[in-house]
Amino acid sequence: MINPAKNPATIIARAALFAGSLVAATSLGTVAHAQLKEIRMMEAGGASGESIEEGYLKPFTEKTGIKVVRESPWSLGKLRGMVETGVITNAIVELDSLAVEQAKALDLLEPLDWQAIDPMPIFDEARQEKAIGYQYYSTLMAWRADAKPVSSWAEFWDVENFPGKRALPNYPTYTLPIALLADGVKPEDLYPLDLDRAFESLEKIKGHVSVWWDAGAQPPQLLKDNEVQYAVAWSGRVAGQEGIGYTFKNALLDLAFFTVPRGASAEQKAAAFKIMHEMTVPQNQAAAAKVISYTGNSPDLEPLLPQDRLNEFPTTQANKEVQILPEPKWWFENADLVEERWQEFKLGL
Amino acid sequence: MSTARWRPPPGAAYVMPLFLAMLLAFNLPILLMLGRSVSGLEFSLEHYQRLVEAPVYLRVLANTFKIAVISTLACMVLGYPLAYWMRGLRPGWQLVAVSLVVLPFWVSILVRTYAWIVVLGNDGVVNRTLMGLGLIIDPLPFLYAELGVVIGTANILLPFLVLPLFAAMLKIDDRLLDAAASLGAPPRTIFRRVFFPLTIPSFGAGAVLVFILTLGFFVTPAILGGGRVPMIANMLETLINRMPRWELAAAISTVLLVVTLLFFALYRRLSEASEGTLR
Repeated sequence: MINPAKNPATIIARAALFAGSLVAATSLGTVAHAQLKEIRMMEAGGASGESIEEGYLKPFTEKTGIKVVRESPWSLGKLRGMVETGVITNAIVELDSLAVEQAKALDLLEPLDWQAIDPMPIFDEARQEKAIGYQYYSTLMAWRADAKPVSSWAEFWDVENFPGKRALPNYPTYTLPIALLADGVKPEDLYPLDLDRAFESLEKIKGHVSVWWDAGAQPPQLLKDNEVQYAVAWSGRVAGQEGIGYTFKNALLDLAFFTVPRGASAEQKAAAFKIMHEMTVPQNQAAAAKVISYTGNSPDLEPLLPQDRLNEFPTTQANKEVQILPEPKWWFENADLVEERWQEFKLGL
Repeated sequence: MSTARWRPPPGAAYVMPLFLAMLLAFNLPILLMLGRSVSGLEFSLEHYQRLVEAPVYLRVLANTFKIAVISTLACMVLGYPLAYWMRGLRPGWQLVAVSLVVLPFWVSILVRTYAWIVVLGNDGVVNRTLMGLGLIIDPLPFLYAELGVVIGTANILLPFLVLPLFAAMLKIDDRLLDAAASLGAPPRTIFRRVFFPLTIPSFGAGAVLVFILTLGFFVTPAILGGGRVPMIANMLETLINRMPRWELAAAISTVLLVVTLLFFALYRRLSEASEGTLR
């Protein structure tokens, strides 16, 4: 067996990594000590980022005097780059449920100190060893107000009775479960996903899909521009928008998380935990929900929300009941396979 | 044979810091990437093997080349007549024409890409006009497929072809054309046998430049492709940011780098040739 340490490629890679971190360390080392006045957060951006600012960062900065600079969007690649070079520029990083599993497997995360976070009551699935779920969002069906409303994924797939162009996410994590539901699979039987059946179901509708979208801002825009008549969209982007109908029925409910990168300094961790505490306060969550109609992790949030707009929020009791939670573990275990088949499918479009 | 020892060019010491910075900031990461594409516990080509075995990656690469070829052809078809027309303008108007070609450079690619949605979308200016005139009943699907990507890409990259080509055309001595005319050649023959051959090297160089730039295009295919035009840059983004498959991404990037370098070598030869013909 070749000794990995003597292998030229490994040596080059290690030397380069070493030199790289040396450069980074000398240039950023000074920042690390002065950071108590300011930390950086990596988040999804857009209205969601503004809701974080309004709901959680304002009270945090008021209490601690620490300024938080937001950076977006988050990506697993950026997190991995930070941890592997050992230069933790962002004390707190947003991840979706699948990325949390991937990051745990790559050992990119610090365990959370729940005592330091000292949370108010939150939903069980929001409390993990290395991540705190902070925001529920739904992937749901939406349509132009002048199109015939749909009430199930089977109807969304039914282009004869519900004519019009469709927009679907360019993300298999949403599109494949939806394709199975449309094909008649019961929500409780979704996992493990039957990939063959899901792709067969997609074949049936692909001719009517104008756009496979990447950014959450696209579906409402496509609907307004009359580019498509039906779209799968993220709830916060369409709920309450004029001219767009939507339903939470059989929508995919998901939870976005915040994490702390492995190697963060004690000061960075302390600050991150304090921000996480603010994310469990129902009043803060209500303030965040005013900016975008996603909801926080508190079971006590509902009475604080604007009661005339309750139907816009993914975690009100009436809405949470009719939705489906994902199984990030399954996605993590099958990520490679799914991604390759997804690319293959798109080449056939 | 000269026996003089090699000496650094004068002033090299001043350039050294910048040179080192470039080496560290640009070349080191590339080395790192090459290292990663063959790393693991021991030296291995497994990621390259994976690349060949799972045909989807090579097909995306092929698709990227296809789009690049089509976009390059579109730029060539549009760019040559444009440059030729500009050469015939009076100097004042030439300046105006050049600034019109350069102007879009100062507008962000993102903005220009979205502008195409306003112009060519189902509810866009063109479709509404055509429908208003009664020429079509249903809007034409310009966007969200390969056509949309080619339109957006060609629009953004056209100046890269037109500007050098125009400069080369300006340098062509009018007396050559006059000489051909005085020998009785009709305009078409002058163009075909004198003018066009003189522009071939810079035309080719511009085309290769556009081709190389299209290979790495990201924003335009992501927005105007409607998610159905897989290109390599977008796939790399997925492999790096959504999937933790950096080794495979490094292998694909290495293939792309090698191909691009080959084309760059071609570009250099063509532009050297073009210098030669014009001197």
